[in-house]
Amino acid sequence: MSPEYIGICGIGVLLLLFVLRMPVAFAMALVGFVGFAYLSGIDPALSLLSQDIFESFSSYPLSVIPMFILMGSFAYASGISERLYQTTYTWVGALRGGLTIATVLACSGFAAICGSTAATAATMGKIALPEMRKYKYDITLAAGTVASAGTLGILIPPSTVFIVYGILVEESIGRLFVAGIIPGIILTLFFVAVVAILCHRNPSLGPPGQATSWKAKIKATGGIIEAIVLFLLAIGGLFLGWFSPTQAGAIGAGGALLIGLVRRNLTWKTFVESGKDGLLTACMVMFIITGATVFGHFLAVSNIPFLLADWIGNLPISRMAIMTVVIFIYFMGGFFMDSMALIVVTVPIFYPIVQKLGFDPIWFGVIIVLTAEMGVITPPVGVNVFVIKGIAPDIPLELIFRGILPFLAAIILLTILIALVPQLATFLPSLVSY
Amino acid sequence: MMEKFKKFNEMLSDWAEWVGFFAVFVMVVITCVDVLGAKLFLSPVFGSLDIMMMAQLIAVSFAGSMALLRNRHVQVEFFMVIFSKRFQALVNCLIQLLCLAFFVVIVWRLFTHGLHLQAGGEETATARIPMAPFSYAASLGIIPMCLVFLQQLLNSILTLVKNEP
Repeated sequence: MSPEYIGICGIGVLLLLFVLRMPVAFAMALVGFVGFAYLSGIDPALSLLSQDIFESFSSYPLSVIPMFILMGSFAYASGISERLYQTTYTWVGALRGGLTIATVLACSGFAAICGSTAATAATMGKIALPEMRKYKYDITLAAGTVASAGTLGILIPPSTVFIVYGILVEESIGRLFVAGIIPGIILTLFFVAVVAILCHRNPSLGPPGQATSWKAKIKATGGIIEAIVLFLLAIGGLFLGWFSPTQAGAIGAGGALLIGLVRRNLTWKTFVESGKDGLLTACMVMFIITGATVFGHFLAVSNIPFLLADWIGNLPISRMAIMTVVIFIYFMGGFFMDSMALIVVTVPIFYPIVQKLGFDPIWFGVIIVLTAEMGVITPPVGVNVFVIKGIAPDIPLELIFRGILPFLAAIILLTILIALVPQLATFLPSLVSY
Repeated sequence: MMEKFKKFNEMLSDWAEWVGFFAVFVMVVITCVDVLGAKLFLSPVFGSLDIMMMAQLIAVSFAGSMALLRNRHVQVEFFMVIFSKRFQALVNCLIQLLCLAFFVVIVWRLFTHGLHLQAGGEETATARIPMAPFSYAASLGIIPMCLVFLQQLLNSILTLVKNEP
């Protein structure tokens, strides 16, 4: 049998193992190991397995992952998220739909110090949902807003998806981070517009909260200063070339701990709980990347990515039409697979096509993140929706899924916008050297 | 008996998680001290990259079993739930058996990798830390994962034997 045929069989077996509920990381490593053994022999495969695991687990470039994940975990434990919400709530809470707008803005702010959608949704959901219920907000709108705004966590830097994508395609993580800023701001504004339009059409969805004085507003603004300082220190330091990505993440994590200690929000219990939670998340991501590394070696010896790139590159249709199909595949894949896993499995296959067609890898990275955002809120495996369900078990899943629909439309709109105007993603990275 | 095995696994994984937590905290502290030392006092921590790499190896390999116990490893859930519990248990048996066999191979290969590193006298680039003990430690850290897979395999077999619909 030809290597290409074995490669296709390997992908088929991988999908079968996914369906049979084998953890994604282990399935990729197992199929990659067995496929490589079949094509290159058992001894090279055994050596490759231990080498890939040892080198991935001890990879310094990959240490950026636990550092930024810990930064988000410690920021939550230090109470930064609560103060962010209080600030935005004080400023816009009195508007029609003000609490939902405050939630979107607070999610956007927290996304600037946390790189995970689920963490952002969970953090803000715990704070914002009870408030919105207190003020008799429509539960579909409230739950949909928190689940959707949580997705800003992977678009606004730092972002675990950008980090993993950057590692997979060997692109600068700093440039990818900066590429997410403009789309992140636009998406935040789109989400605010969605809430404003919905509440304008049906005011009972989001009754205004209590009005606050200018004095209270200015006083509350102090609550976002620490988040800004942390963002400027970690991400600003990265852009200015003071730190490597790993150092930026560690400084961010250390800074978040320091804020928690100074504010007296951090106890030994919350420190250990948040640290262990961050460790388990980082461990999961590291296992996925390691599995993808083993699987990637198998794909490389099977020649599948290169043949696919050649075949698609020579198709008599426009490159934008091909890219539309690739984006559609990501969109559909997001319905059935965890976004991180989907990216790790598919990027090694599709990236050679992207290169062959001459698309900017930074632009493609932003598109990938936007499709990942759709994946975390669409059924049946919308992680953020289940996070909200976990926080508020009495809200039916179908209501949450219904609530995300207008926000999903906003993400699709932004994806189309960035496809048509790539400069929205590529302009800022062109200004930074890192 | 199964309950005792489960408790033992939880205790072992909890202990391993503490090792991982300590290692990851060392990573944060070392990097912060290194950056501050380099920027403020022009005195970075010698071999900080090497320490980071080895600490990460320990952190990830020792945290794996707790991530498994807490269902933190990503899997596709939606398809299998439409089948009967018995069929799910049958499939679980197969998957757990595959995972157990695969991770036993990983433990063995990481240990063998350590032997190769030891024989070659391999050290980290800057601080010249011997790498072999860390490969042995990673191999040791993965053993609790094998035990968790074994526990899950036995649970699936019991479900199958109980003949639930």
